[in-house]
Amino acid sequence: MAFIGKDVPAQNSPALVAGAGLYTGDVKLDRMTYAHIVRSPYAAAKILSIDASAALELPGVLLVVTGEELRAKDYAMPVEGFGKGASLKPFALYPLAVGRVRYAGEGVAAVVAEDPYTAKQAALLVDVDYEDLDPVVDPERGLTADSPLVEPDWGSNVLFEIRMQAGDAGGLIAKAARTVGGELRHHRYTGAALEPRAYVADYDPHRRTLTFWASTQCPHPMRTLLAQTLHLAENDIRVIQPNVGGAFGLKIPYFQEEPLVAALSLLAGRPVRWIAERREDLLAGGHAREGHFTWQAAFEDDGLVTALKVRYVADVGAPSALAGWGQAYVTGFALPTCYKIRDTDVEVVAVTTNKCPWNAYRGFGKESSSWLMDRVMDAVARETGRDRMAVRSRNFIPPDEFPYPQNGGAVIDSGNYPQALKRVLEMIDYANFPKLKAEARAQGRYIGLGIGQELTPEGCSIAGSARFNGWDGATVRISPTGEVTVLTGVTSPGTGNETALAQIAADQLGIDVKDVRVIQGDTSLCPYGLGNFSSRGVIMGGSAVHIAAGELREKLFKVAGRMLEAAPGDLETADGRIMLKGAPFRHVGTKDVVATIYGDCHGAAACGVEPGLEATRYFRHENVYHQPETQGRYSAYPSWANQSTALIAEVDPETGVVKILRYCAVHDSGKVINPMTAEGNVHGGTAQGIGGALFEHLVYDDCGQLTTTTFMDYTLPTALEVPHIELEHQETLSPFSPLGTKGVGESGVTSPLGALCGAVEDALCEFGVRIDRLPLSPENVWTALHPKGGRA
Amino acid sequence: MKTLVKLQVNGRVHELAVDTRAKLAEMLRDDLRLTGTHIGCGTGSCGACTVMLDGETVKSCCVLAADANGQEVVTIEGLSKPGELSTLQQCFVENHGLQCGYCTPGMVLAAHQLLKDNPQPTEDDIRHAIAGNLCRCTGYQNIVKSIRAASGR
Amino acid sequence: MIAGEFEFCAPKTLAEALALLGTHGSACKLLAGGMTLVPVMTLGLAQPAVVVSLNHLSGLDGVEDAGGVLRLGAMLRHATVAKHPSIREHLPLLAAAAAGIGDVQVRHRGTLGGSLVHAEPAADYLSATATLGARLCVRSTRGERWLTTSEFFVDVMTTALAPDEILTAIEIPKQPAGSGSAHKTLRRVEGAFPIVLASAAIGPGLAPARVGIGGVGPRPVVLDVADELRRGAGDAALAAIGDRAFEAAQHALTDLNGSGAYRREMARVYAKRAVTAALANLRAGGRS
Repeated sequence: MAFIGKDVPAQNSPALVAGAGLYTGDVKLDRMTYAHIVRSPYAAAKILSIDASAALELPGVLLVVTGEELRAKDYAMPVEGFGKGASLKPFALYPLAVGRVRYAGEGVAAVVAEDPYTAKQAALLVDVDYEDLDPVVDPERGLTADSPLVEPDWGSNVLFEIRMQAGDAGGLIAKAARTVGGELRHHRYTGAALEPRAYVADYDPHRRTLTFWASTQCPHPMRTLLAQTLHLAENDIRVIQPNVGGAFGLKIPYFQEEPLVAALSLLAGRPVRWIAERREDLLAGGHAREGHFTWQAAFEDDGLVTALKVRYVADVGAPSALAGWGQAYVTGFALPTCYKIRDTDVEVVAVTTNKCPWNAYRGFGKESSSWLMDRVMDAVARETGRDRMAVRSRNFIPPDEFPYPQNGGAVIDSGNYPQALKRVLEMIDYANFPKLKAEARAQGRYIGLGIGQELTPEGCSIAGSARFNGWDGATVRISPTGEVTVLTGVTSPGTGNETALAQIAADQLGIDVKDVRVIQGDTSLCPYGLGNFSSRGVIMGGSAVHIAAGELREKLFKVAGRMLEAAPGDLETADGRIMLKGAPFRHVGTKDVVATIYGDCHGAAACGVEPGLEATRYFRHENVYHQPETQGRYSAYPSWANQSTALIAEVDPETGVVKILRYCAVHDSGKVINPMTAEGNVHGGTAQGIGGALFEHLVYDDCGQLTTTTFMDYTLPTALEVPHIELEHQETLSPFSPLGTKGVGESGVTSPLGALCGAVEDALCEFGVRIDRLPLSPENVWTALHPKGGRA
Repeated sequence: MKTLVKLQVNGRVHELAVDTRAKLAEMLRDDLRLTGTHIGCGTGSCGACTVMLDGETVKSCCVLAADANGQEVVTIEGLSKPGELSTLQQCFVENHGLQCGYCTPGMVLAAHQLLKDNPQPTEDDIRHAIAGNLCRCTGYQNIVKSIRAASGR
Repeated sequence: MIAGEFEFCAPKTLAEALALLGTHGSACKLLAGGMTLVPVMTLGLAQPAVVVSLNHLSGLDGVEDAGGVLRLGAMLRHATVAKHPSIREHLPLLAAAAAGIGDVQVRHRGTLGGSLVHAEPAADYLSATATLGARLCVRSTRGERWLTTSEFFVDVMTTALAPDEILTAIEIPKQPAGSGSAHKTLRRVEGAFPIVLASAAIGPGLAPARVGIGGVGPRPVVLDVADELRRGAGDAALAAIGDRAFEAAQHALTDLNGSGAYRREMARVYAKRAVTAALANLRAGGRS
């Protein structure tokens, strides 16, 4: 293969590095108007009245719209459950709040004006009269009988509850000689893509067509949803996804602002642009994480874990049409991750609160599963006095047992966990670490080593879901000049999957990757596809390109075979030529074959071959099982990348500051199409994992007010906090995808959590410090070290 | 309310009436349509709006357009001719020093400033020089690598 | 994006600026580097009717050697404060404080005077200027007055500046030749405001020997630590200094980045660290 496995520079980079990208916020149309959203200052309140008169008097204001007006037009947003995994209780959702608000920052009214300054100015003049209600801020309190309710019709604040049992964990733990347990609390944070959400809607009242530019991951599903909400014909809507300035899951539809901006254009009869300000994105752009584990494990003297019981209470925020709450399900589903523990009992309770709804964020709940298992393994190591690596190895699913049916119902496709862990410990010189630690201690420094073992289920395939499923499509087209266009249903949030797709097409067709142009993110050009989520770009999109290009290759070989007087099965292709295997001097130029098919379809070589060189094919991942098994478990994830991480961190015991000194990782996502772009993904995921573990925190006060609404308060790691990452690949191919690929889009984000907790405990081992919460902020670490306060 | 502003952008003099409320970043984007200057936070934290003002990098979301009157601005579009890339930009492409590209113009300008002041920076110098530019995609690793590569050329 | 309309003025002389302030008073906001004012206006936390830019008048960005003191223009950018040879030579503590503010771009634009007037308790300059015994020159059409830092800094983000006054210059006694200086900050991430910080300046013969602590109360706290250090610069002296810092930080506020209790503990740690580093710097003859 000439290009697969090679570092091909990302095709979009030259334009982006020149500042010539086109992002949604860059779109400017004739007669364009600008929207600004009036947002609730309360976490929970009744809307008593909305007086827009002062706003409407401001010159340049065209329109002020409220939720009641959108309800009157029946612009209700469809809300999808998580298929057979977990169903969502019904609730009504409109692009703006109707009757009451459910979180601080929810949109209440929207202003459209001739310029963005006037729109924002007018929004401040919209006078909303609220009756403040008692909000649900703490999920534990939300579960009590006397709690106020986020959705009064539900009778409780439980959004869903599910129990996944394999064997008899409870019974085994009750009888076990040795058990250990604990609690673990994850705080709320988010992806904070640098480009805030942005939408431009252009409704043409004469043609009744809607063109919608969106910073989104899923243009086709967006089109379907917009059609359903706004009662438009789906084929009258064109959704265009220009360059996206980072997404990480957070730009998966369906935000209230998406149909809102489209509705505003319908109502104004003019193009409308809305760009979120950072404050709005932090308030209402989707949050993630925030959960509380209670766990108990039974183990044997050699560190073998025989049973695990987990209860996970997740604070998923207000109910929404976003996919985010599904993360709570996935956290339970992915347990016990890469370990063979036959008896598990996992209970997940997703509690709705008066906070920003969860949206998907890289990791999608699996980061919490792996984090928990790292803490379990470290605890068992501590209890047994055995080495942390040895305990993990003792419990790994053995490499010869794949495909492995995991307890949650999925089949883990492939893996070699012991090898990856062994290698990463070599990289970090694990054997020598005690000496290093002792030397540091002699200098008054506290360093520790932590291990993070991540397993990342990918390619989310929800039974019954039209939005999240295990397939995608591609059209591959060869033009008469011989260049190739790939049109695909998967999109790129800026990670470079278009380049990987081009590499796959180039190798199938034996041409230069420079001759392949990939077009994504336009519903009028591309085959229907589900877009980008769950690391599926290469798994689903890449496989579809491979199949579609393979179909064209067959056609080329058929004609070339006649031209070379050889059987098509005896041919191969490379460097723009089709040649006889073993006799490369018998060849024909691929472009000549293309010219023959286009120009000489009645001639000897091409007669009987269907004209045209275009193939549209769909790939369905076969490692998905939607027929219910016992206890209703089913397989929602076909592809399972993994990574072993080892890091060394220094803790300043006087301040609680944690600094990463060294970071090593071995990553395995099966066949790697483009190592450079794949590594880039892992680097970015790692930085986000480190950011979440150490620096980022969305903090609500007791009234449900978000107190971190700027990047001055929501602190993201800079180049000085993110360490150099020493990264190696291991390629354990997936038997279920044509090229052996798995996903890589979410890799790296998980292992910093467990590795940092382990490293901090190790560094402070002489004080017996236990880490049972994130973030590892200076004060939290300091407090763990000084549980009773007192002098540093 | 409008304010008359005369300033030089990428070597060309512009005279225009801007909304007095407009920030330099907004004027560059909306009035001059130089959309390579991005806005990520609007409060001077992320650095996506970095431009050179009278030869020094600033965050153009914290500069009023009216206040840039009489000054010289260089944006990402001013670093290379259309269709060409500077050595620094070329190094970003070759080393995958960008993914989504949103922070990239500001990052490239921050690096441009660094290499102007310090042509042979250490890794620590590089990391300090780009500390005012947040990136969510790359973990900074390949950005640092790109700048190192450019410093050697 | 700024929602509120305002009038923008860019006076060419200080007299014009003072006249504008005299006319508009508290309806007016002075714009220096804009690193705080522009974000604050973006967030709707300030909505001035008039914005008077100081970026187009000359004479406020000088560095004047006036014998025993340096007189610094209020419009000096942080990058200049960090790099200026006179400031580095005579006020190394101030130069060190400036070098750590924000990031490169912020230092290119933000100003000494702007930061002092904003009076964020954890700002790098507050503890540094208080430690150095700075005096601030304040002008209005009514005349000129000079204030010490303890007169100038009144409360959290509150100064003694009247609505018609402009901070024009900061006069700081030169640190004696060979002084040891250290500016130590605890930050969440690079570029963020410090949680707690300490600035120490120790001259030969312990004249002066001061440490200023910021982020632990509404105003910077300055401790004269000569007595402790005269008894020897060992652990006992440092512990005593730490105890004083802890006591002085009793009004430390709680916010996102740290509770008051944690800040008090960090006052102790950072006072000790700044003094230790300044002593080491003193032993090295002030060369870092």
